[in-house]
Amino acid sequence: MKTKLLFLITFLSFALNFAQTRISGKVTYKNRGVGEVNVTLKNTYDGATTDSNGNFSFETSEKGSRVLVFTHPKYIDVEKPIVIENQEVSVNAELKEQINEIDAVVVSAGSIEASDKKRSTTLLTPIDIYTTAGAEGQITSALTYLPGVQKVGETEGLFIRGGTGTESKIFMDGSLINNYFSNSVPGIAGRDRFNTSLFKGNVFSSGGYSALYGQALSGALMLESVDLPDQSSYDFGVSPIFLNAGFQRLGDNKNYSYGASLGYSNLKLMQEIFNFNTNFSEAPQSVNSDLNFRFKTKSGGFFKYYGKYDSNRMAVETPSLEPENYDQSLVKLKGKNTYHNLSFKQKFGKYLLNAGASYSYNQSDLDFSTQKDEIQTGSTKLLNDGNYINFKTVLERKINKISALRGGFELNSTSEKLNFNDFVTKNYKDLISSAFAETDLGFSNQLSAKIGVRAEHSSYLGKSNIAPRLALAYRLAKDWTTSFAYGIFYQNPESRYINGPANLDFQKSQHYIFQVQRTTEGRSLRFEAFYKKYDDLLKVKNLQYIDGQNQFVQTADNNSGFGYAKGLELFWRDKKTFDNIDYWISYSFLDSKRDFMNYPMSLKPNFASEHTLSAVAKRFVPEWKTGFNISYTYAKGRPYYDIATQDVNGEQKYFVRHEGKLKDYNALNFSLNYLPNLGKKDSKTFTVLVLSVTNILGSKNVYGYNFSMDGSRSSAVIPPVNTFVFVGAFISFGVDKTQDAINNNL
Amino acid sequence: MKKYLLTFALSLISLTAFAQTDYEKVMSDKIAKIENCKSLDEFQTLANDFDRIGKKETKEWLPAYYAAFVYIQKGRMLMRDGKMSELSAQANIAEKYLDQAESIAGKDNAEIHLLRKMSYSLKMMENPTERYMTDGMKAMEELRKAESLDPGNPRIALIKAEDTYFTPEQFGGSKTKGMEQFKDALAKFTTYSPKSKIAPNWGKAEAEYFINGAAK
Repeated sequence: MKTKLLFLITFLSFALNFAQTRISGKVTYKNRGVGEVNVTLKNTYDGATTDSNGNFSFETSEKGSRVLVFTHPKYIDVEKPIVIENQEVSVNAELKEQINEIDAVVVSAGSIEASDKKRSTTLLTPIDIYTTAGAEGQITSALTYLPGVQKVGETEGLFIRGGTGTESKIFMDGSLINNYFSNSVPGIAGRDRFNTSLFKGNVFSSGGYSALYGQALSGALMLESVDLPDQSSYDFGVSPIFLNAGFQRLGDNKNYSYGASLGYSNLKLMQEIFNFNTNFSEAPQSVNSDLNFRFKTKSGGFFKYYGKYDSNRMAVETPSLEPENYDQSLVKLKGKNTYHNLSFKQKFGKYLLNAGASYSYNQSDLDFSTQKDEIQTGSTKLLNDGNYINFKTVLERKINKISALRGGFELNSTSEKLNFNDFVTKNYKDLISSAFAETDLGFSNQLSAKIGVRAEHSSYLGKSNIAPRLALAYRLAKDWTTSFAYGIFYQNPESRYINGPANLDFQKSQHYIFQVQRTTEGRSLRFEAFYKKYDDLLKVKNLQYIDGQNQFVQTADNNSGFGYAKGLELFWRDKKTFDNIDYWISYSFLDSKRDFMNYPMSLKPNFASEHTLSAVAKRFVPEWKTGFNISYTYAKGRPYYDIATQDVNGEQKYFVRHEGKLKDYNALNFSLNYLPNLGKKDSKTFTVLVLSVTNILGSKNVYGYNFSMDGSRSSAVIPPVNTFVFVGAFISFGVDKTQDAINNNL
Repeated sequence: MKKYLLTFALSLISLTAFAQTDYEKVMSDKIAKIENCKSLDEFQTLANDFDRIGKKETKEWLPAYYAAFVYIQKGRMLMRDGKMSELSAQANIAEKYLDQAESIAGKDNAEIHLLRKMSYSLKMMENPTERYMTDGMKAMEELRKAESLDPGNPRIALIKAEDTYFTPEQFGGSKTKGMEQFKDALAKFTTYSPKSKIAPNWGKAEAEYFINGAAK
């Protein structure tokens, strides 16, 4: 009996042990309940998930000292020891935020990033560029549809927030690209030399850019080249103005690739068809070729090489502004350029090494002459040879998930020779050595900062500078962020103006940028205000005029120039509201004045428009296998000046002889792409047919005026053609890119 | 006394036996809930349940597999609601669990490869333009691997059918072709027998759902 009783007791105690105990509580972060927290009684199946108020409750048959674990991806795990006896256990937990890359706020003042890494909706990817009507497939043209970038038709370069085209610099995988634009003649803008599809992403900064970059008073465009291609391919393109062919081969084990392309373009045929404003006595033509290889080393390093060569030529004839002297003036151009870029990237534990070197050579051979009664009357030759070497190394160390420290140095060597009719011969050499350090500091997912400093020394100037940069970002609410950026930026005087001895210094600008941004699913709204202060800008003077010469030569005089630019910008992009339609609108207000170059006083610069508005819309219609794109740009008329010299007490002084406002700029552009083989599963070729019409309404836009020597006559600087129609076919073989195209257009 | 001892021993045995089947029982309970999930919260709760089981049963690959599956299903629900920007967050969590499952089950598990395919597809949908060439390609590769490992698996057939069904005709997909493939998948489901009570066995209802014309 005793044993029976004992057994009963044992059994009962077992049963008691199996009795359920309720465990409940509340999980909070800053006194607010947190939902979706996984509450686990360690090493058991028992636990619960908190509701939206942070409450949880579950039952367990476990007894004794146990540990309760609270986990949630956005918070740091919390462990609480508990003792389970027979009565209900109540446990509350307070969580701490876990800092992570996805939720951390990113500094975005002044910059628009186009890569897939950051979940930004203000992207401008290669596909965006190709499908922006009026951009002609050029990266820099597409950027003019973003806020802060001015449309200046007669000169190449990115005119950012009241800055000149030479105040912006373009980088490829961290290395500077000298002569990004093709050689050109005055009044006609050079084109992007680089194929848009060469780059997988870009960061465009319209101010306040990182300390890793320098020598740009206004802004920087950082292009990131593509990695290994996904497949081997052969492609060619044909249109009335160009022919090109290329291939890419991917190694069998997918750790290396190589490729090359060759192209030729000539505008002659179009010149026959269209009514050109510009009289090309020799139609613009060019040959271009490129070569690339990329490979991954066994230890995880990645090498990328890209090299190109191009040459171009054209000649332009203009009616004379000095009829008593000559009837026509003529300018002939021969240009040659080669660019090579090698970059290397490897991770060593917590360190990431990025090294790159680039070399470029550029030759521009300009021949100015005049004609009277069919006889050439004067010839001025301007031969420019430039050799540029850029070397840069950046070492980055991760501190935690969202903080990092970067440092490195950069060498920038320039060697230019200029020959101007033996009247000026110069040999300009400069070595800019820079060192920089920058840190990304993530204080929390709501607050982050970027603090950097850059120091430069120019061997030509014999001077050094130190430029601090600072940016802060703060998340106001779930979708709203605000950021602020400040920085000092230095740039050497442009070497083209250094044609005689002068005591020069760095030019300087300071940026203050404030931004508020709202990003939600498929929509993005940005508001930016900026103030930019310029100091030590270059002032030039004319070199003494020699008879027979038909161009003035300006030379750098001193650094007494100054100025400012301030403005407001709005950007709205929406991919969501209308089915299959992606559109964006940008508006920029700009107020700027500066006294620089040959300006006799502080003036509104002739490249700055007060109001710029642009809109871009794209729609792909799957049933027709066709994408339709339109864009529109409006820019308020820019000022123009006729600046001449006069003798004041034996000294040549500049003065404004004429001034006025250009008419407002308007252009409506349209393009469509048709994909005939789309969806044919077994198709071996993939074809895209493109039709584009720029300035479809034929607005007669004026870029400026040229004045005669005495100022009595003037002629308008106008685009080479008002309305231009382009048709072309791009065909790829060997690989089916259909899916690619579909997804690009979804 | 001997008799009692025997009873005691027996009851101990039954207790341990009970403990063994406890894993299967709790898994079956939770697995049964997956198909009835109606809200994001329910998916999250279930995912956490599988996580908890996985932490205890470190030698079993199925808890991590199901946790990944639940996150993918949650992602697909978000996708249906048009919350595209949250897809890759779900997919990333799913991939973590898939890594865990693979480290236990080995690399040749077709079911895991299929979930990887679904996870990459989810990521791609967040930004098809940008991610087709990367995540889209990886998804195809995973599907190919899964198929070569287990050609008769009805779930692989089901996911292929879905891909076809939802791809517009202009791009080589088709509703009718998709339907054929669903029927194919359903046929495979009827002859398929899962390796155990708790081995992956989902998808049949989904195939039926399409065949009965419920998805329009």
